[in-house]
Amino acid sequence: MLRRGILLLLIGVLSFIGYSYAQQNSIRSVKVKEVPLRDVESSIWEKAPVTRVKLLPQNMIPPFLDKISIPYIDVRSVHNGEWIAFLLEWKDETRDAVVDVDKFTDQVAIQLPLDPKNLPAFMMGNKNGRVQIIHWKAIWQDDIEKGYRDVQTLHPNYWVDLYFFPERPIYAEGEFPQEPSVMHFKTPEAINYMPGIYARNPVAILDRKEPVEEAMAEGFGTFTTQPKQNARGWGRWKNGSWKVIIARPLVSDDVNDAPIYEKTFVAFAVWNGSDKNVGARKQYAPWVELFVER
Amino acid sequence: MSVTSWLVSKVKNWQIKREMGYPYAESRPDKQIAYVFDINKCIACQTCSVACKTTWTSGKGQEVMFWNNVETKPYGGYPLRWDLNILKRLNGQSWDKDGTYTGKTVFEAAPQGERVLGWLPREEDYSYPNIGEDECSEIVERGDFFSGIHKVWMFYLARICNHCTYPACLAACPRKAIYKRKEDGIVLIDQSRCRGYRECVRACPYKKTFFNLVTRISEKCIGCYPLIEKGEQPRCVTTCIGKIRLQGFLSKPDSPRKDNPIDFLVYYKKVALPLYPQFGLEPNVYYIPPVHVPREFLYQMFGPGVDNAIETYRNAKNDKELLAVFMLFGSTNRIIHSFKVEREYALGFDNRGELLARVPFNEPVYIRPYFDKKNGTYRHNIP
Repeated sequence: MLRRGILLLLIGVLSFIGYSYAQQNSIRSVKVKEVPLRDVESSIWEKAPVTRVKLLPQNMIPPFLDKISIPYIDVRSVHNGEWIAFLLEWKDETRDAVVDVDKFTDQVAIQLPLDPKNLPAFMMGNKNGRVQIIHWKAIWQDDIEKGYRDVQTLHPNYWVDLYFFPERPIYAEGEFPQEPSVMHFKTPEAINYMPGIYARNPVAILDRKEPVEEAMAEGFGTFTTQPKQNARGWGRWKNGSWKVIIARPLVSDDVNDAPIYEKTFVAFAVWNGSDKNVGARKQYAPWVELFVER
Repeated sequence: MSVTSWLVSKVKNWQIKREMGYPYAESRPDKQIAYVFDINKCIACQTCSVACKTTWTSGKGQEVMFWNNVETKPYGGYPLRWDLNILKRLNGQSWDKDGTYTGKTVFEAAPQGERVLGWLPREEDYSYPNIGEDECSEIVERGDFFSGIHKVWMFYLARICNHCTYPACLAACPRKAIYKRKEDGIVLIDQSRCRGYRECVRACPYKKTFFNLVTRISEKCIGCYPLIEKGEQPRCVTTCIGKIRLQGFLSKPDSPRKDNPIDFLVYYKKVALPLYPQFGLEPNVYYIPPVHVPREFLYQMFGPGVDNAIETYRNAKNDKELLAVFMLFGSTNRIIHSFKVEREYALGFDNRGELLARVPFNEPVYIRPYFDKKNGTYRHNIP
């Protein structure tokens, strides 16, 4: 009986420590003159305090992530009254920025509640408890910087006899066809054979302008791309670490964007491509308090 | 959440003669697209594969994608070891004497945290669509080739999406981007909703959903639905030069129609069997098993109905109705809804009762004179 009492006391103390840690675990967005939207190494970031956010494996609804491979992310935030930006930094030994059936890209996302007073569920919100999600992917970063990540990016020596939508007769006059696949794939005929692009799937965009996608959700499986995209982003991988900026207007006229009050909340999700993280197989952090300096 | 609570519905699976757990309630379509493939007649000419490929998957990112493929068993498989990998994971299951499956389906065997027992292929697994082609089960002993029937065996297995009654791809999709059409039971991936998580690729035991690395989402056989909507059979069926395929609609298991050729073969004669019924998906491509293959191999692949199916098939010459349906394979590009035998002819009709095909049981023989007076030429009679 006594032993059980000590055990309960110990559990109590431990949970109190955990609780106080969570209380300290808040993010302060510091007011600065200029918000770096692309420069992850900018000295402006040093003006903001770092908050280390612990990550957990998604194991609430199948498919689960068995074990986390990224234990935490470091978060900083700055704003200038016009833009609010987050610098997200985490350790990842491999830079994964291509996809194939068994290849996955590194990703990170932030989530903001539309109504912080009636805080929605931290995992994608809930029915009538809407959240805004801004999602960055390494493959989108490369799409923009290096050109669309294509079959030849993954398989430079891949050979295809013939596609049925040539722009010009590439096999004529004994000429050796140069990169036949790359030449044609933006023609309407080619797009007929790329159903995802033809259907305007927001994942399948050949000329992406920003490496982030803005979305909204009201629970598991409801991730929906916003009609209006006004978020920005940029990422850099160096020496086994990702540094990713996710930014959005501080005051937005988009009804689907979360209003940012002096005090609100932010949640995170991180995917490690080399660990085959995708979709629900992710590490996440539940709501963290966000204080926005005025 | 435990795995069992994930399978919230009990659904009836007639192929394994029992109820099983599934995440969604039983909701059979008004009509279910179904196919019968007579394996005994397939010569692996790959005309179906080419017809499908040129119609649907000759685009960028679809280079190694075959919605229809024909592989040589026992060693072939596309993607590589698709069947062995899932059979190994199911780890030996069993059937009752009365044909009830007592083992676990891929839904019931899902480990904690997974929706379906599955595995994700590697990209190399799609690189050898013709691996094992024309390879026999073992080496033909010296002299055996000339001594009559030898004991080595192989057969060709033509495969497409099974448009399952209980699709694993649909069950696994966290976004509900996969749906089964109420009007014909065709299973489709919504190309505007899919986000390329590849949960369906992992879950489908037949590995008939494919990831497109250019559009970064998944695609699958669409059952040639634009043709189905016009009352025509799919490309892989109508182009089959061996006439091994028949597409039609399977009635619900409690209301079979004897004059529906698909119902007749599947429910009445039980000559066409589902592929790996033990997976629990109620697949809707039915195979007439190859008669010369060792039974143990066939039991594993087609379940306990194999002996009856082969006996019925071997007796087809004495069964005029069965023969009539077999002769309607490849007789028309339209979908046959009903058939009948009229004297020496097999007749196939559409859904309004209009005649689509009239095939004689015996082809008439014409003997032409050796010398053709009209054209002043000699002719040979070629059968």
